[in-house]
Amino acid sequence: MNNRIGVFICHCGVNISTTVDVEEVTEFASKQPNVVVARNYKFMCSEPGQAMIQKDIGENHLDAVVVAACSPQMHELTFRNACEEGGINRYLFQMSNIREHCSWIHDKKTAATQKAEALVNAAIRRVAWHEPLEPTFSEVNPATLIVGAGIAGIQAALEIAESGNPVYLVEKESTIGGKMAKFDKTFPTLDCAACILTPKMVSISHRKNIHLMTMAHVEKVDGFIGNFKVTVRKKARYVNEKCTSCNDCVDVCPVKVPHYFDEYHSERTAIHKAFPQAVPNTYVIDKQEKPPCIEACPIRQEAAGYVALIRERRFKEAAELIRLRNPLPVVCGRVCYHPCETECNRDYVEKPIAIQYLKRFALDWAREQGESIEPPKIERRAEKVAVIGSGPAGLTCAHDLAAKGYDVAVFEKLSELGGMLRVGIPAYRLPRHLLKEELDYLKKLGITFKMNAEFGKKITINRLKEEGYQAIFLAAGAHAGVTLDILGEGSEGVISGVDYLRRVNLGIESHTGRNVAVIGGGNTAMDAARTALREGAEKVTILYRRTRAEMPAAPHEVDDAEEEGIRIHYLIAPTAIARGPDGKLDVTCINIELGEPDASGRRRPIPIKGSEHVLEFDMVIPAISQNPDPKLFSNGGDQLKKSRWGTIEVDEESLKTNIDGVFSGGDVVLGPSTVIASMGAGRRAAESIDKCINGQPLENFQTHMPKERIARGEDFRPHSYAPMFKDIPKSDRVGMRKLPAHARVKGYDEVELGFSEEEAVREASRCLNCGVCVECLACVKTCQPEAIDHRMQNELVDIEVGQILLATGYDLFDASHAAQFGYGKLDNVLSSLEFERMLSSTGPTGGKLLCKNGKEPRAIGIIHCIGSRDENYHKYCSRVCCMYALKFAHLVKDRTDAEVYQFYIDMRAYGKGFEEFYNRVLMEAATVIRGKVAEVVPSGPTLKEQGHLVIRCEDTLVSKFREIPVDMVVLCNAIEPTADSEDIRRLFSISRSPDGFYLERHPKLDPTATMTDGIYIAGCCQGPKDIPDTVSQAAGAAARMLAIIAKGKVELDPIRAEIQEELCSGCRICNSLCPYFAIDFDAEKKISIINTALCKGCGTCVAACPAAAITGKGFTNNQIFAEIEGMLV
Amino acid sequence: MMEGDRVAFKLSTPGVLPKSERKLREEFLSQLELVPGGEKIKSCIQCGTCTGSCPVSYVMDISPREVIARFRIGDIESILKSRTIWVCASCYACTTRCPSGIRITDILYAMKRTAIEEGIFPSRFPVYTMSEGFVKNVNRYGRNHEMGLLVSFYLRTSPLKLLKMLPLGWRLFKRKRISFTPMKIKRLDQIKSIVAKAESQVMPSEKASIMVASTVGYGSTTEVKQRAAGAAQGGAK
Repeated sequence: MNNRIGVFICHCGVNISTTVDVEEVTEFASKQPNVVVARNYKFMCSEPGQAMIQKDIGENHLDAVVVAACSPQMHELTFRNACEEGGINRYLFQMSNIREHCSWIHDKKTAATQKAEALVNAAIRRVAWHEPLEPTFSEVNPATLIVGAGIAGIQAALEIAESGNPVYLVEKESTIGGKMAKFDKTFPTLDCAACILTPKMVSISHRKNIHLMTMAHVEKVDGFIGNFKVTVRKKARYVNEKCTSCNDCVDVCPVKVPHYFDEYHSERTAIHKAFPQAVPNTYVIDKQEKPPCIEACPIRQEAAGYVALIRERRFKEAAELIRLRNPLPVVCGRVCYHPCETECNRDYVEKPIAIQYLKRFALDWAREQGESIEPPKIERRAEKVAVIGSGPAGLTCAHDLAAKGYDVAVFEKLSELGGMLRVGIPAYRLPRHLLKEELDYLKKLGITFKMNAEFGKKITINRLKEEGYQAIFLAAGAHAGVTLDILGEGSEGVISGVDYLRRVNLGIESHTGRNVAVIGGGNTAMDAARTALREGAEKVTILYRRTRAEMPAAPHEVDDAEEEGIRIHYLIAPTAIARGPDGKLDVTCINIELGEPDASGRRRPIPIKGSEHVLEFDMVIPAISQNPDPKLFSNGGDQLKKSRWGTIEVDEESLKTNIDGVFSGGDVVLGPSTVIASMGAGRRAAESIDKCINGQPLENFQTHMPKERIARGEDFRPHSYAPMFKDIPKSDRVGMRKLPAHARVKGYDEVELGFSEEEAVREASRCLNCGVCVECLACVKTCQPEAIDHRMQNELVDIEVGQILLATGYDLFDASHAAQFGYGKLDNVLSSLEFERMLSSTGPTGGKLLCKNGKEPRAIGIIHCIGSRDENYHKYCSRVCCMYALKFAHLVKDRTDAEVYQFYIDMRAYGKGFEEFYNRVLMEAATVIRGKVAEVVPSGPTLKEQGHLVIRCEDTLVSKFREIPVDMVVLCNAIEPTADSEDIRRLFSISRSPDGFYLERHPKLDPTATMTDGIYIAGCCQGPKDIPDTVSQAAGAAARMLAIIAKGKVELDPIRAEIQEELCSGCRICNSLCPYFAIDFDAEKKISIINTALCKGCGTCVAACPAAAITGKGFTNNQIFAEIEGMLV
Repeated sequence: MMEGDRVAFKLSTPGVLPKSERKLREEFLSQLELVPGGEKIKSCIQCGTCTGSCPVSYVMDISPREVIARFRIGDIESILKSRTIWVCASCYACTTRCPSGIRITDILYAMKRTAIEEGIFPSRFPVYTMSEGFVKNVNRYGRNHEMGLLVSFYLRTSPLKLLKMLPLGWRLFKRKRISFTPMKIKRLDQIKSIVAKAESQVMPSEKASIMVASTVGYGSTTEVKQRAAGAAQGGAK
């Protein structure tokens, strides 16, 4: 306990002494216990004031000091230093604030004096309990992280790099330069922005100690001043540093989207460079989300890619792209159930793109043009793989493995290859010569096909392994029809759908009745019914127990069947079949009603009692479902695990069966499924087998087998710049011509006739280019230095730095929120950045001022304060608008004969050379109108016949309402905090001021630091400012950081929490409460520990600790209670 | 423009003034060319120093500042119809104090000359008639003849008022403040030669037709000159 206390009371000139009777307070203090001396002085902070304290410490042997003056924010450090120089520990000092807390806020002298006495007394009692504390020091990592590479970040990086210390410069865009790179000229000197910025950008790329990370953002920040650990996520650029910027890729890219760098007023390709002088000067591929069509496809066919190529009339490339990864493109082009179309975003506009037809078109075109597509060169491998079954699953697996170089043999039970494609799907849907085309291509890949080789007889799993096959893919399909399980099913004239189709398709002699019933509502039922018609049946009836809505068959198949004259009975089910003596089949049927939905979501059929009736047919084809051949599990596959549905059981991810090296997929696993789902299984199996043979774990599959629908919201937009679906102009889906029904049923001619070139291009033009890059791989083919890699992945980079500068810039206020100005609604209403781009020689118009109709404007209105100085949006002034608006006026006058009107509230020309610039522009005859524009309206009657624009305002200098006709309106949008500034604030634990910008430590005296040590801010993220101010602030911040780097260590305030280990119960309550993440749990000792470097001494943990194990140094219980007591006495 | 009329005239085509206003602007700009530094009218920052400095602005219907504002918006007609330009006492206080170096008094003179050329005057405010009589008097006698000026002024504007003025006239006459006979100055020929010299200057209106930008803004005066020169050359050919 300190018992020789000195009290020093400051007049602060007259700031304190006018309201507080300083003499009386001094008198009061001198009478308090432990007080040895009490004095007052005009300016305690001055040299003589400090000397007075030091003299008293020496002469009166003071052991603690109280100074009653201004805020500790202001002078605590001053007096601590004074105490230290006087000979006592700097923490044996307490400051009492009798200015901000007393004299400035009170006017009655007696009361204020009384309050000052209480405040001083509190400090006297407290300081008695003060203990000497020693600050700790921490080493400083000389590296610096700069977030944001606009002019502020660039400037600071160059300043720091000049000192030889390393800098990490993180930028989220593909190029550095920020907003300034978009400007044409800069006010007031009219320097060309590019001319002064690009040399700095280039030096950034040349500096060896600047580590530039573009397309990156900070994901995690740990640590404290001097020792930050930062995780940066670098997005894939898909182009590596081998890029020579030759532009070849741009010429072949089929995707054209509005260019963000030109504020969406020009077009760019998916592979692009933001602007010619971009740094780093390599191209970048814009991949937003994956296009849903690609994402939905089980084999991840590059649907968007070939659609884009067809749109560009590059049909051969489209066909090549399709062939590259799809082993059965011709088949898919005809019979795929196209999940890509189901997911197509165009569906939200009107109808999905006819992706399937476009695929068919590309391959048909290649065939008609005699373009043969050759398989790529493959390096052969020695490993052998056996594929059982030549259906879509088997062929896809064989294709993928053969493409990887494996020696693949396909074993087929039947005499014809193709599995269900050959024996299930009728020729009118899939002409046989086309299937042969697919198989020929696969043979060219080097796959061996063995026909009439039934699994289970000569070929068994063990036998294949003995023959040296390292892996087996079982894809035998589901070729056994499921029985109806009713009486008389075995009668002559009853044949299952698959059996019937197989017999017909293989040309095996089979009888088709004249009056045929097909039972079931799936695609097999449709195929069987339509085949029966072509085989000579006069009347074909489909019996289905639910309604059309529940039918699993593809709707267009059902339509086609009905067109061909097939009758469909709904809500009816057979209960028995009896063969009459005349050879007719009497089918007893019962009517059905629909009940509650069952597990599959379809309504459950309930027979209506007493509704039995008999229908007469001479042939019945049950086609309700198919199962794998049960013989599979007895012959050669007897060790295979069978599921309760009679299919092979496999691991869902890897398609591995219970036998090592044996994989299975397709219908034999899925039950009757679709071509594309089976192909997806084949592709996954190929990847699994490849991994298996190479000894890799069966995980992290890159192939794709979507299990569920991809979720999309109502407001979902395909890409960020695109209009809402409702705003996209509608255009009809192109339909496909078909053979007329009467011509169809005569034979097996293909029903669907394909697209013409024009139809295909028209249909492909409807694509929205979701995800921008469509992965057509055209750029890969054209790139000479092989710099493009579509498989590049995002990566996380950990870096360690000592200090961090945030220079994250600003966003432009979206003027469409202020609807009265017509932005986004009326043509020729531009934002300031759009106008900058229009003025720029590298911009969308090459620097020409043009209205949307291509004419030069006759008059332009420039409206200040859009979203600034407006309580509805931002109260603050954006500071730069007046001057850039004047710059605009100058440039307009310079380049055109147009009249320019400036609409301003106050003309703010506060900077060096600004007023002179204002005068210059006035002399250039720009018309200035004082008055905020009320609204911008079209002169025409409707938006379509917009006419010119009319600006309505009051001209306050003549007190008149005016309507001014103009051809173009330029809005001076407010500068606002970036949309992600709250996230960034939280990430770096700094604060924001009420306007949303990052809060500086002191608005006047410390505008570059933040309340968090080691984190600095510069540029517009701290508040709106112009380029010179930004550069100054950035350089200032750099100087601040360099000072710390030069010092090499930082002093850490000893006022922080301390855990008494023996009291800590390890409850961990404090861990999550700490706002600075300074408390960790020591799992070994089972107690919490405080990282003193992180602790800010806020005291949250002290208050929360249920065991009172935590004390705050400098805020002990004794000190706090004494202070309260002093206040109350 | 009438007081209470809060709506400025309407423009119909972007960047193009109505024909009548274009004519006035053409005339005024040519008059402005006679004012040295007249183009500085463009650098007006509408601070109002002129109005605040003007000893007679309290009787003006448009302040001197607003004269420039109205010129800017393209409404010279309302300036010509206002009393302001005729009320100006030519004390030059505004010009002395103007922070933008604008010679406001001279600009008002340019406006007056425009009014005379175009014959547009404020209604019920016959200052110009007075001024005309005054100039005539001075030309004739070398100085003003009060009695003659007053009588002719009232006869031309409101003869009935002349009767009302009789008692005052009588008292003035009695104290010899006015007389029936005009007095001539000595060496009248000198005054006349000064006036003749001034009138021999080519007045703007007598120049070859001057093309003025058909814009609402006021184009630079150099531009006006160039266009005028171009027009003159064209005429010579």
